[in-house]
Amino acid sequence: MLLKRIFYFLIFVSFPFLLSAQTKFTVSGTVRDKKTGESLIGANIIMQERSRTGGTTNSYGFYSLTAPSGDYKMIVSFSGYQPDTIQISLNKNIVLPVELSTQDIQLTEVEVTAQKKDDNISRPLMGVQKLTTKEIKNIPVLFGEKDVLKTMQLLPGIKSAGDGNSGFYVRGGAADQNLILLDEATVYNATHLLGFFSTFNSDAIKDITVYKGGMPAEYGGRLSSVVDIKMNDGNSKDFGLGGGIGLISSRLNAEGPIVKDEGSFSISARRTYADLFLKLSKDTNLNQNKLYFYDLNAKANYKIDDKNRVFLSGYFGRDVLGLGNNFGLDYGNATGTLRWNHVFSDRLFSNTSFIYSNYNYTITINSDSNNIKISSEIRDLVLKEDLQYFANADNKINFGFSIIHHTLSPGIVAASSNSSFNSQTLQNKYSFENAIYISHELTVPEKWKFNYGLRLTAFNVLGPGNFYSYDTAGNTTDTVNYSTGQIVKTYLNLEPRFSVSYQLNDVSSLKGSYTRNVQNLHLLSNSTSSDPTDLWIPSSNNVKPEIADQEALGYYRNFKDNQYEFSSEVYYKIMQNQIDYKNGAQLRANENVESQLLFGRGRAYGWELFIKKNSGKLTGWIGYTLSRTELKFNGINNGSYFPARQDETHDVSVVGIYQAGKKWTLSATWVYNTGNAVTFPSGKYEVNGEIIFYYTERNGYRMPAYHRLDLAATLQGKKTKKFESSWTFSVYNAYDRHNAYSITFQQDPNDAAKTQAVQYSLFGIIPSITYNFKF
Amino acid sequence: MKVWVQIIILAFILNFCQCKKVIQVNLNDTAPQLVIIGEVTSNPGPYTVTLSGTVNFSADNVFPPVSGAFITIKDSTKGLTDTLTEVTAGHYTTHILSGIPGDAYLLTVEVSGKIYSALSVMPQPVSLDSVTFIENGAFGTNLINPVVNFQDPAGIPNYYEFTETVNSRPINNIFIFDDRLSDGKYIRQPLFNDSAYIQTGNELVIGMYGIDENVFNYFNELQNATGNGFQTLAPANPSTNISNGALGYFSAHTVDDREVIAY
Repeated sequence: MLLKRIFYFLIFVSFPFLLSAQTKFTVSGTVRDKKTGESLIGANIIMQERSRTGGTTNSYGFYSLTAPSGDYKMIVSFSGYQPDTIQISLNKNIVLPVELSTQDIQLTEVEVTAQKKDDNISRPLMGVQKLTTKEIKNIPVLFGEKDVLKTMQLLPGIKSAGDGNSGFYVRGGAADQNLILLDEATVYNATHLLGFFSTFNSDAIKDITVYKGGMPAEYGGRLSSVVDIKMNDGNSKDFGLGGGIGLISSRLNAEGPIVKDEGSFSISARRTYADLFLKLSKDTNLNQNKLYFYDLNAKANYKIDDKNRVFLSGYFGRDVLGLGNNFGLDYGNATGTLRWNHVFSDRLFSNTSFIYSNYNYTITINSDSNNIKISSEIRDLVLKEDLQYFANADNKINFGFSIIHHTLSPGIVAASSNSSFNSQTLQNKYSFENAIYISHELTVPEKWKFNYGLRLTAFNVLGPGNFYSYDTAGNTTDTVNYSTGQIVKTYLNLEPRFSVSYQLNDVSSLKGSYTRNVQNLHLLSNSTSSDPTDLWIPSSNNVKPEIADQEALGYYRNFKDNQYEFSSEVYYKIMQNQIDYKNGAQLRANENVESQLLFGRGRAYGWELFIKKNSGKLTGWIGYTLSRTELKFNGINNGSYFPARQDETHDVSVVGIYQAGKKWTLSATWVYNTGNAVTFPSGKYEVNGEIIFYYTERNGYRMPAYHRLDLAATLQGKKTKKFESSWTFSVYNAYDRHNAYSITFQQDPNDAAKTQAVQYSLFGIIPSITYNFKF
Repeated sequence: MKVWVQIIILAFILNFCQCKKVIQVNLNDTAPQLVIIGEVTSNPGPYTVTLSGTVNFSADNVFPPVSGAFITIKDSTKGLTDTLTEVTAGHYTTHILSGIPGDAYLLTVEVSGKIYSALSVMPQPVSLDSVTFIENGAFGTNLINPVVNFQDPAGIPNYYEFTETVNSRPINNIFIFDDRLSDGKYIRQPLFNDSAYIQTGNELVIGMYGIDENVFNYFNELQNATGNGFQTLAPANPSTNISNGALGYFSAHTVDDREVIAY
């Protein structure tokens, strides 16, 4: 209630700030990399004379600052770049494009005091982490394949779903509660090869921002996090070709200007060749197996004039797995985004996006008795409009809307007439997910900053089709047929977002936030591995939207002239309408899948500590999370709270990168976490000669603790203007820890009178080597 | 189909699998629970009901029989009640009952002052047409698996359970099939078997049972809990048709056996 009051109060008090009348002018423009023309997202712009106020560039590198007329020293800075100081006379509105040069390695050791590096302290948003491809390039990963999603899991509050799984859990949320956006398009399955790699080729990625809570009002649709990934625009000055050759995959990317300084393109491709090793096998069964993925990222942008720029970006990726000719599984995402940036005025920036997103899979089974093809698809069409109004240096308003049309095709089974199965087409599920939002970034000099807003979402469940009602036993009690476009059910939800920071002094601040998120697409998963054929279902007459309310508080402090940054955040989250399913639920090819579900609630709370060293020869961070996540369902554990699978009490990650001279970069990461909560048997009995295990409670046991050390060394080759290259040597799981992938219980094969627990591990120590080049 | 997806994932993971080891897990002890297994079949009786108890995981696989129970099975359709006799410890048999398709059978067990009951209806028989064999080479070794061939009757839900004996040794896998996605089809279903390698010339006995929906659900949940070699997300005790918290099941089912030589 208190939060609500604060919220209304702030809307009320903010209007005068917007209406203040004094002769003011605006300086606006785009900040870019001097060498490549790549726009810089989140660069800081301040006027030295008004150092408490300033702005940052938006996701297209655009900035706008408004100040009373006068002469100012404008300082533009961005991490890893040399700051630029520009003298301006603000006696009229100015358009001022800025280009920054990258810093040499030697220079990073020198502290540049003019640089505004304490953004983490002053900005009101909390629970936000940003990683650039540059930052992650030296961090070791499995098979030496740079991976933004894997690296992101080294941050506090973001937990890995385990070996061989790119799934991740944010602040106790489930893996499907993360909104993963690639140039604004939703990526439904962010994993390749059943979770061993993420779908994001780091060559194509510019940066990645993760919101663990307190997400701004322009984001919505998932409960626990937003992972906003931006693709490279491409070099608008020169053509370039780069790539990498690794043990299991190779990459190639090309970029260059379309018209110098006016437009550019970037294309990146990647393919794994694990299956080529299978081909070497003499075993005819093995060498016919297929196991590979490939993906392609492409992006182009063109500046029509000073006020208009268009972007076209796309992703296509595919995984192909096959066992001989008998069985095949292929799946992948395709996304396309067409964007139009328009500067209405110096202060009003607009972006309009048309987005297409598709995820589908096909299973083929060919045997003597069965020829079956099963396919399933999710297809989104999106129109999105985002407007940013830079009212003045202290006020910024974001507002806009989005219209998403979802088509979920849960399954088409095409079986030959001699198959044991019938052909079947499950009815498509159609829905509209629409939202409008407004948010206000407000600076109250000298101490306060606010970012608050409202998002209103309307989810329409649409016909055509039969919609069923069920009794508690799951029997159909009523069937209603709806025609095309008819609204079956509408869910309206108001999602308040509120964050505030209070600057205690120059180096420390306190922040608080409250966020409500609503989720209308739900993933039903019934295995511990990431199964690409897991089923997405929309909210419906039976399935209510999931709702999460999160409150968080944080303390932030920078040390040694911002060389170190420290943060401590606590959060508490309540989740409603969580979904589980009944024992033995039939989730596949089931028209009545909603009758198989159970609905409950969840709660998650935790404490995250983070200390990061930003500069010097040694950089890196240490993150620690203490947390608990519990769920409650009628019909499970007698209706009392039980730990969720992702409940990991302690979670530690240590990342260190050491610049050893000009040629070598050494790095190491170490992770530790309490084992996942699991259900183990407490007894056993016999049914028809088979040993059956007896269970007493859900998730009452723990997997063994997980820990692992990874090492990497990068050797920079001779760097000329025309050509540069590097070798990366890495060792995954350096001390060969056999972490548990699964623990199963079985009869002892050597002693029929005994049962035993068997632990499977995926990866021992894995060395790898990658060669990267660029010319 | 689910099994197929799991098989490929498993095959994939095993490619990477570095190691498998037996570990010690400290599991809680639990008070013994009653396990009731009872059957009435379309074959002539007598039929057996077995009562035993659970033991702790760390104990030997010796399951204490539960004696001294008062057990009846009633053919509710005919109104005929048979009181069972304990022939050996924990094993109780019928005297006069005969299994007839379409009849409903009610099991009542009274032991230690508690009464447990279960109802099962014997489905109409579906006959096993033939047993053939396929060679399956998914894992780098060629495995021979039997295939059951039969015509599923259209328009009614049917549930099947299969048993397999190789050279007189019973295979303890759960083989079940339902016609939810196959109504009215001629079914050719391989019985994948991970615990026995069948060689050409082996003598097999394949049994096809027609079971009722509750018993199918029991075995389906049991199979999910055992996870086909996977760690199941949330294994649980299968829901049984026996009331009052006993484990196990009571099934009235048809039987069609076939003896074949593997080829």
